Amino acid sequence: MSEASDFDAIVVGSGMSGGWAAKELCEAGLKVLVLERGSMVRHGKDYTTEHIPPWEIPLAGKKPRELYKKDYPVQSKVWAFNETTRHFFNNDRENPYVRDEEKPFNWHRANVVGGRSLLWSRQVYRFSDLDFEANKRDGHGADWPIRYSDIDPWYSYVESFIGVSGQKEGLPHLPDGEFQKPMPLSVIEREVKAAIEHEYPDRHLTIGRCAVQTEAKNGRGSCHYCGPCERGCSVAAVFSSVGVTLPAAERTGNMTLLADSVVEGLDYNEKTGKVNAVRVIDANSHARKRYTAKLIFLCASTVATTQILLNSKSEAFPNGLANSSGVLGHYLMDHAKGGGAVGMMPGHLDSYIFGHRPNGIYIPRFRNLQAEGGKEPGVDFLRGYGYQGKAMRLGWQHMHKQTRGFGKDFKHALRRPGPWMMFMGAFAEHLPDKNNRMFLDANEKDRFGIPQVCFDASYGENESRLQDDAEKQATNMLRVAGAVSIKSFNVKSTPGSSIHEMGTARMGKNPAKSVLNQWNRAHDVSNLFVTDGACMTSSSCVNPSLTYMALTARAVNYAVDLFKTGAL
Amino acid sequence: MQRRSLLKGLMMGGLGGVLHVTSPSLARALAADIGCSASIANTCFDESQRKMCAVLAELIIPTTDTPGAIEAGVPAFVEMMVSDWYTPAEREIFLEGMSALDRDCFDRYSNAFLELGEEQQIKALSHQEDLAATYQPPKDDTSFLIPKEDEHAPFFDKLKELVVIGYYHSEVGAKQELIYNPMPMEYREIPFVEVGRQWSS
Repeated sequence: MSEASDFDAIVVGSGMSGGWAAKELCEAGLKVLVLERGSMVRHGKDYTTEHIPPWEIPLAGKKPRELYKKDYPVQSKVWAFNETTRHFFNNDRENPYVRDEEKPFNWHRANVVGGRSLLWSRQVYRFSDLDFEANKRDGHGADWPIRYSDIDPWYSYVESFIGVSGQKEGLPHLPDGEFQKPMPLSVIEREVKAAIEHEYPDRHLTIGRCAVQTEAKNGRGSCHYCGPCERGCSVAAVFSSVGVTLPAAERTGNMTLLADSVVEGLDYNEKTGKVNAVRVIDANSHARKRYTAKLIFLCASTVATTQILLNSKSEAFPNGLANSSGVLGHYLMDHAKGGGAVGMMPGHLDSYIFGHRPNGIYIPRFRNLQAEGGKEPGVDFLRGYGYQGKAMRLGWQHMHKQTRGFGKDFKHALRRPGPWMMFMGAFAEHLPDKNNRMFLDANEKDRFGIPQVCFDASYGENESRLQDDAEKQATNMLRVAGAVSIKSFNVKSTPGSSIHEMGTARMGKNPAKSVLNQWNRAHDVSNLFVTDGACMTSSSCVNPSLTYMALTARAVNYAVDLFKTGAL
Repeated sequence: MQRRSLLKGLMMGGLGGVLHVTSPSLARALAADIGCSASIANTCFDESQRKMCAVLAELIIPTTDTPGAIEAGVPAFVEMMVSDWYTPAEREIFLEGMSALDRDCFDRYSNAFLELGEEQQIKALSHQEDLAATYQPPKDDTSFLIPKEDEHAPFFDKLKELVVIGYYHSEVGAKQELIYNPMPMEYREIPFVEVGRQWSS
């Protein structure tokens, strides 16, 4: 037991969750190794396309199609993927997974320090007890081992530090947080809000709650409204681990951050019942190394974390580490998106917008809020959905195709922006289902010799009904708001496309049916914590990153107590 | 290059307005100028196509009180995209479109497109637009959410799109024709008249 460890703790992954684990562990005084499979991104210095003017954007924004088809067939489907951000993304050819074209799953990944915290849409919403009690209420999935009161103070702790702008609404199912001043709604959004709230007293429209500072705080700047946050934000108004949590960890002097370090698996010591080492492959030289620590935090992202666990086999755990329950890899979820509507809003052609607001509107869930057993009368689905949207004046990018002719009149017509358009699209909750899973391929390996990930996941009848309703209600709301030329949509999206993949190592009370306990600690392995999306027991319909961060801070606090009392 | 600088100087100095800037002579002069400076590796344009492309670009976005497509460097952009970025099928549609336009000019006016006056060039290009309007794009209910490339779009649509994106992405198009502010520092509602043009990005 007196074996000297290389580090007190190892954090695998440097993104949304890993950054928080690193910061909290380092600030508690532990010596921490952070392992990141992607390449180094230094805050500011490596935001090579930040503020790039339009005339320097390659191909005037057109996609190099041959390259994308060859190297980025999956990543190029992401909204944030283009020639100004490609350097942050995974190369699908170099780092493949097994993609079943008959039943596809889109695994969207970054391949840099900071991970997807550099590329997210920055929307942050709290889960509520409507979410934490959902599985228990309707019997799908296992009951969460925590309730809102367990995580509430950690939400506040995280929000205050990352900097969240938003409007308090006093809704029990979308709890308010620690908000900086909200970004304003536009004239059209205010009109739509008034119309919806008048027609449907139980529905609300609020400005998005986003991890972009509107006040200079926390030693960081406030938003300068330049637009594309995903190119990097050197004033760190927008939250990313590269700009915020990793520098905080760095300041303690306790962090060692290694990029290009692919974790192959964890070594389990049967005598101690603990993980004692992490096996690492250098992404460039393919040299193998082994690092030991007393405490391990897996924060590699939902799929990558479970891939590591499944690939960590031992006599004690022949089906993957911490998998005595057999549920590791199962209950994979991703919000069903693709239901909504868009419409043109007449008038207000004399109103225009100064600045790019990196945020939209939010219409919180309004279905099944009070339902005993999960369904309100007249509703044919469980759970609910929330809309994200935006009003915008159509720019030349849209209008040139709708403006006939050419020459002086055409050119001068494009000097004015087009009419206002209002868009709303839903994220619907994905019921936890054991049949939705990821696993390792028996034969296919990646360039490091690590078995590739396979997926077998789909949306079910409930998600389909949620989307149908989301399409219908979006249309109704746009209609009452006075929209014209309303076009509803109901796209059957590929699982993974919402980039909210969750589950596969779920938390639960029962060690026979879950992987992690109420502190994100593996039931089977006392020094192993998983705090990224893999831990999620249900998916809610709100964007999940804030919950990963709060659970991470909470789990670290618990783990540090154990560490300091010698229990590890 | 001297000629280009001279023309640029004329327009920058505001003289563009008093010249008949869209007269065929100037358009041709501008086109010739562009022709000299084009340097696309593996170009699929010959000299005549290069000139034709420049005249077409300038017809779509002419010099008015702000510079037009040629001044913005659009012809070289179009040539690069057609040569390097287009698929073989798209390239064929584009090149065949230019040939068809030329044939149509011979049919109507017994002369090549480049030899016509501006009025006839506009008529010939309008005819291409009319032909393009009969094209039925593949039905796609999601294209308004996720714009997709339509490989089979007709010549006129292809030409117009490349000219437009090339122009408004150019420094001239972004800053002189439209407005550009990389660092707004605030978000607020304004009356449109306060800026008078739309944002380029």
